[in-house]
Amino acid sequence: MHRFLSLFILLVGLFANAASHAADAPPSITTADDLGPVVEQPIEFPHNRHAGNRDPADAADPSVPAKGGMEINCMYCHTYARRSMVSGIPPLRKCIGCHQNLPSVRDTPRIQKLFEYWDAKKAIPWKKVHDLPDFVRFNHERHIQRFIFTQGKPVQEACGYCHGDIKTMTVARRQKALSMGWCVSCHEKDHPVDAAATKTTTHGPNDCWQCHK
Amino acid sequence: MSVSNMLENWSKFRHMHPVDDAPYTEYKWAMSIDLDACSGCNACSVACYAENNLAVVGKEKYNAGQEMHWMRIERYWDEDGREFPDQGAQFIPMMCQHCEAAPCETVCPVGATNHTADGLNSQVYNRCIGSRYCSANCPFKVRYFNWYDYPTTNNVWPDEMTQQLNPDVTVRGKGVMEKCTFCVQRLERAKNNARTEGRLVHDGEVQTACQQACPTSAISFGNLVEPESKVAKQWAHQQVELAAKDAQAKDEQEGGSDLRGYRIFEELRAYPSVMYLERVRESAI
Amino acid sequence: MIENSFDRRDFLKVLGWGGAAVTLSGCGFTSVQDGVETVVSYVEPPEYAIPGISVYFNSTCAQCDAGCNITGRLREGRVLKLEGNTSSTINYGKMCGLGQAGVQAHYNPDRVREPMLRGGEVLAWDKALGMINDKLSGVKGDEIAFLTGSVSGHVKVLLQNYLEALGTKNHYAYEAVAPSVVRAANKKAYGVEMPRLRLDKAKVVVSFGADFLGAWVSPVNFSQQYGKFRKAGDTGRGVLVQIESKMTLTGANADRWIAIRPGTEGILALGIIHALGAAGLSLPADVAAVSKAYDAARVTKDTGVSAEQIEKLAALLKERSPSLVIAGSAAEGYVHGSQNAAAINLLNSVLGNIGKTIEAPTNVPFPQVAVTTGNRSSVQALNDSMANGKVKVLFSYGANPVFTTPTALKFKENLSKVGFKVVFAHYLDETTQEADLVLPLDSALEDWGTSVPEYQGESAQLSIQQPLMEKLHANTRGVGDILLALLKQRRANEYKDYEDFYSYLRNAVVKNKSALGSAGEDDDTFWTGALSKGLVYFNGSKGSLSAKSSAAGIVLPAPAEEDAAYPLHLIPAVTANLRDGRHANLPWLQESPDPMTTIVWDSWVELHPKTAAKLGIVEGDIIEVTSRSGSIKAQAYLFPGIHPDAVSMPLGNGHVAMGRWAKDVGVNAFGILDQVVDKETGELAFNETRVKISKTGKRVIVVKDEGFIGGSQAGNKIAVRASTDEVELSGEV
Repeated sequence: MHRFLSLFILLVGLFANAASHAADAPPSITTADDLGPVVEQPIEFPHNRHAGNRDPADAADPSVPAKGGMEINCMYCHTYARRSMVSGIPPLRKCIGCHQNLPSVRDTPRIQKLFEYWDAKKAIPWKKVHDLPDFVRFNHERHIQRFIFTQGKPVQEACGYCHGDIKTMTVARRQKALSMGWCVSCHEKDHPVDAAATKTTTHGPNDCWQCHK
Repeated sequence: MSVSNMLENWSKFRHMHPVDDAPYTEYKWAMSIDLDACSGCNACSVACYAENNLAVVGKEKYNAGQEMHWMRIERYWDEDGREFPDQGAQFIPMMCQHCEAAPCETVCPVGATNHTADGLNSQVYNRCIGSRYCSANCPFKVRYFNWYDYPTTNNVWPDEMTQQLNPDVTVRGKGVMEKCTFCVQRLERAKNNARTEGRLVHDGEVQTACQQACPTSAISFGNLVEPESKVAKQWAHQQVELAAKDAQAKDEQEGGSDLRGYRIFEELRAYPSVMYLERVRESAI
Repeated sequence: MIENSFDRRDFLKVLGWGGAAVTLSGCGFTSVQDGVETVVSYVEPPEYAIPGISVYFNSTCAQCDAGCNITGRLREGRVLKLEGNTSSTINYGKMCGLGQAGVQAHYNPDRVREPMLRGGEVLAWDKALGMINDKLSGVKGDEIAFLTGSVSGHVKVLLQNYLEALGTKNHYAYEAVAPSVVRAANKKAYGVEMPRLRLDKAKVVVSFGADFLGAWVSPVNFSQQYGKFRKAGDTGRGVLVQIESKMTLTGANADRWIAIRPGTEGILALGIIHALGAAGLSLPADVAAVSKAYDAARVTKDTGVSAEQIEKLAALLKERSPSLVIAGSAAEGYVHGSQNAAAINLLNSVLGNIGKTIEAPTNVPFPQVAVTTGNRSSVQALNDSMANGKVKVLFSYGANPVFTTPTALKFKENLSKVGFKVVFAHYLDETTQEADLVLPLDSALEDWGTSVPEYQGESAQLSIQQPLMEKLHANTRGVGDILLALLKQRRANEYKDYEDFYSYLRNAVVKNKSALGSAGEDDDTFWTGALSKGLVYFNGSKGSLSAKSSAAGIVLPAPAEEDAAYPLHLIPAVTANLRDGRHANLPWLQESPDPMTTIVWDSWVELHPKTAAKLGIVEGDIIEVTSRSGSIKAQAYLFPGIHPDAVSMPLGNGHVAMGRWAKDVGVNAFGILDQVVDKETGELAFNETRVKISKTGKRVIVVKDEGFIGGSQAGNKIAVRASTDEVELSGEV
């Protein structure tokens, strides 16, 4: 039995070809509204059901299917975000951990598919939605630590700076340009350091080696 | 930095040198190498290959001067005409000296090499267009150019060899310049951990790959801003100043100094961040 | 909750190579892209594996016999880099280049991946092991031989048990460049083969050709000590004097490098004793009697070392105590090598260094795991047996005698007389190519094992080698697993409880936990702790030295006569990177310049500029080096650090097999050595070969790292040297 692991951090390091920018015409960084293309995933994962706001009409009884979301913290599944460069796609076991106790949705097509992967002990081949060029090293940990743990921002707001309002989506779709200019536009701004906003830093770091190395 | 940011604030970026009105506040990475302890064994160089995804180019390209060793050991002989080098050879590890007034930075047409807030001389691969002016202007000749696309060149990283590549370091493609980074990926990680804990990086918390490997512990590395760091103490004891104007004051004294610290090509006023300690030979034998 | 148990081995599993194909197709994009690459996450994550964060595991370096303790850095289940284990008292967290290249030995694309017959036909493991069983039937015990390198730990235990099961005592431990004559001389002089050498305590170190900073015994340990030795500290900066005919890396770091006529090291040692006596040091009567004849005039005439130099050296040794005198490879490689080494060791006893800078190692309480050191005479003995048709079945592991023995020995020819040859191999090297059956081995980073290093740190230790990652190739096996499978063919009952070598090893180590300093701990805690540390210390008693050094029996021949036909001494150089050539296929090592010549990817012949001028040779001339046993051609390199009567060639290159990075690189200097041995030990005297040199008329550009002006600083202050009277070292940080 093989156990798979997140490869994309490795992918970042492999075969980065930093030279081709000179040759091509400048690519359009993003669509007009900064919205990325719709990405088809092996399972249409409903972020809105997991992270979305609770519907007041929903009962507390988990055996009754809810209409609204469950307000699950982003970092419950993307658990590495506060500790590592990468936020991590949740391991299959995490999905199963809850869903084996949720008989109410057990027979829906998406969950059946989920259990097919689990029974075969195969990883789900999710497609990367926020795929930065190989020479860019975005660090989730730093941003999460900075905005959530130090400054005390709500999780969904902090994640939303780059990922948009995920709780309203099913599968994630890129909402922001994620271009360097876009990154720098935020790094240039002064941000409060702590929750009380007594102090400000000048801005985010702006030397190239912060992200390109 | 973005291009607009860079152009608007050019003078400010050019200011990241040890000038009185803009001293380093948190970090100034620096090194010292004791040539009396260095045995010239090349372990540092191999460690650098392992850490920084350096390409092995093979004999033919080596002959053409296309080797990629960011860290090399230079070996010199005495030039006093004796029959034998009876005081041994002179070994010196040579890598990017991370000059404060780096000659490479001023000639880069696209700002691909410039100074970081920590006093590192950075090289940004995705900005580099391969003019090689920087290499031409480097007094230490420690910049290496990718004449070939090594990731796709036969027998550079064939098959399983790619699995050894360090994911924290970009594998460079054809047409870009590269050089020693003081293992910036390790520095950034250490700084990141320190920031999360709300402190600065402790002395000894981060090691460069060459320093970590060095079998005789000849290499020290650390933060010059922190007066208690080993490197800062060494620099202070040797009276080597980062921003000495024309020459180190101690060398201006009559009769010279009996301290061993020196920087290479001090007279060029590049203000390197690497101090060497002279090799010593016993006079009684 | 979910039923889930995972152990450490599961953690090592990584995504197969197929996953990385995604990378190749997805490389090179320069702006953000969506929905192209795949993210593969764990099905079940090990708790301590966080993508993007390194994990470290301790193990033991298998690149040479020093047995440094290492720490492997892993990311996402792949080992990226080897670093020194900081809690080791062998290497103190440090690593040499050779050791670090261990990852390239692991990821090497030229590894053997399947059991193979001669000619390359692949077969299954059960067939291969069955074949061994078949071939052994009807063969008498003493017709079976097992050739290995130095071997220790539990692999050695299984090996010995297997030999016993086969009814044979024919274990030949062979190391081509081991200090085997010095070991014998040390045993005589100090009572132990390899005492601990305390450079860090010595004020003066006089080394007779021991390249302890480069390739001798335990270079990283010695380098660590050397770093301390060079610091002024309380006792003042240590002084290193190196005496040899060809400058080694250690010689290049000496305060005084003394070029000596090849083979006269013993004479100089006695000359120094004589000078010490003359300077007022009281000598034991027997020593005085022997050294009496070695007055300065005679010694100078014999060795070429000036009387003034000898006097200065004696004065320094007398004044600064304790000192340390080391007999090394350069001194032992002669017909009278044992005598040279004995004379040099005598100096230590005269100077009173025994017990001060020469210390007894800790006793290893389990002789069955203690190291069986390899030497050169063993391969000669095996060769004789094979030549006489006494070997029907030969096993070989960790040795490449077809490459490392002189052609004059005719090893390859004699090997063909052996009916069935099994080689346990990582690569298809020259010896493996001659095998009838090739068994592919796990790399050192995939295999379990233990080892007991010959040269100890502060205490005797059992070093643990454990897999740092999942096997790269499905059909390789650990050497312990193969031996266990072979043993099960003979003694099924005795080994039936051990599913694999790991279970055997765990059981064997845990069973003796009280002797390993952990009597009170429960088994799991002890074992997990041992794996986590990567080493355990024996509860061994400190050994003792017997200062038996006596002058009796030291008979040194007069310096060798001029040989008109073959006027030059050939000194084969053991380089830090390539040693005996077993790692010549690691590209980092090939591209790492030889420290002395800065040459890469080739062999060369070092000549003193004076000798070269006499012969009309310039750098890059292809010259033919001819001995009585053969000739090879290589590029000339003019090198000031060599005695004019000698030429030197590096060992290790010149492979005709072993994969893309080793094959056809340079020439093999082992081949032309004369089969001459040290009289006392029977060890090949590898500095005894005499050669002549002729030009071939061809010339090449020497591919080297130094610039076109060679080793000159052209008046620049780049690498600066000062003499001790010019600098103030006290108070340095």
